Amino acid sequence: MNNSVIPISNLQLAFSVFLVLIAGGVAAFLRLGLLRNLAWGTVRTFLQLVLVGYVLAYIFAVDNLWLVLGVVTLMCLVAAQTAVRRGPAVAGGHFLLAFTAVAASTYLVGSLVTGLIIAPHPFYEARIVIPISGMILGNTMNGIALALDRLYSEARSRTGEIEGLLTFGATPWEAAREAVREAIRAGMTPTINSLMVVGLVSLPGMMTGQILAGTDPRQAVRYQIVVMLMIAAAAAMGCLILVGLSYKKLFNADGALQPFVLQSRDQG
Amino acid sequence: MEFEKISYSLGNQPARRVLVSGAVAAGGVRVVRGASGAGKTTLLRILARLTTCLEGQVFLDGRNWRNFPGPLWRTLVHYLAQTPALFHGTVGANLAKPFETRLVRSRKSFDPQAARSLLEEVLLPAGIWDQDARTLSGGEAIRVALVRSLTLDPRVLLLDEPTAALDARAREAVLRLLAQWVAGDGRAVVLVSHQEGPLPFDHLSSLDIEPGEKNAP
Repeated sequence: MNNSVIPISNLQLAFSVFLVLIAGGVAAFLRLGLLRNLAWGTVRTFLQLVLVGYVLAYIFAVDNLWLVLGVVTLMCLVAAQTAVRRGPAVAGGHFLLAFTAVAASTYLVGSLVTGLIIAPHPFYEARIVIPISGMILGNTMNGIALALDRLYSEARSRTGEIEGLLTFGATPWEAAREAVREAIRAGMTPTINSLMVVGLVSLPGMMTGQILAGTDPRQAVRYQIVVMLMIAAAAAMGCLILVGLSYKKLFNADGALQPFVLQSRDQG
Repeated sequence: MEFEKISYSLGNQPARRVLVSGAVAAGGVRVVRGASGAGKTTLLRILARLTTCLEGQVFLDGRNWRNFPGPLWRTLVHYLAQTPALFHGTVGANLAKPFETRLVRSRKSFDPQAARSLLEEVLLPAGIWDQDARTLSGGEAIRVALVRSLTLDPRVLLLDEPTAALDARAREAVLRLLAQWVAGDGRAVVLVSHQEGPLPFDHLSSLDIEPGEKNAP
């Protein structure tokens, strides 16, 4: 058994174009109108990944604490932007909250994993920290986008209950508690479901990558366990922070519901 | 409770501005009248501080409403919607619901016995206590919600067509209970009602909201 990664040469990489021709053949045969997107997507895949390869190689080589922190923060900014953009179109200000949520969960959970569990030398080793942060961010981003969307839809469908509670002297938190709980539940459910089926339905990408790179599957599995639990923790924390901060935006300074929550979606 | 020059706009195009002033004295019942869409519900929501108004002030015992925190104000000047909010659970659980907020819990505790006798006064059977609140009819729901509001013991009760879904007998029972309640110490009712016919209140006055009122500057 050859315990190292088998390199792909330029020629071998060029052969992968045949794979695109298969997808393109299907698209052309059925006139799906996807050829342009497929071609552009292929070009982008090549360019983006080649670029990322060089950038990562540079960052790994430099392995400087500040550079690593800067890259992780940049990743947090992009993740926050993406999470908010796919979410409901509501009064602005969510970007900052989303950034707070993803940054807090990434830095805290990421530090726990790299500092305590994997413990590389130095502790900020880019080869460990950046991929770990990326996995945390990708999942937290999806989780908070779901949670934010659910928070607004729950609030809109529960206006009667929320206002009923307000007339009982409820604070915004007391009135919105059920909607907040449902929102966090919605954000955490996908990662919890993935804990149930991991390894049965599909092999996670990280583990597959390690196995392709020649790692003993028994060792790759250990990494994957850490990653799965880390993702669950980060998604929970991200959703909690974001929903815990943004439910206040449903209410005005007097503690009553904002008009946009009471209006139908198309008006608002 | 007095409200001075409360102004608000209604509708989108063209927005119509409404300006009202009024008062309700202790022991009094003020009936708000006006055509559909005149802004009666909005007025009650403003008085309860569920909706913000453009201008105007409300005084309770001479104290400006801004001197009360919103949650406290909403328990003192308590709004009951025409379609009341009922929560998951039994009628009994719904009646205890207001006592789940910290504000109410810190002041009084739920008295199931008092709630049961109020249910009886509005002609609801004792067995309704264990019924799922979401299976109530409209007329039952409004009476359960009214009992729930009364157990909160507000100073001013803002009622939005509380008798619209009731038959004659139930309507009479509800009005009788309200008349009895408002006679208590320092209480008042502001009532939106479309129904013609006599109302059994001692100190009754009405307040008309004109459709298309143009007192606005």
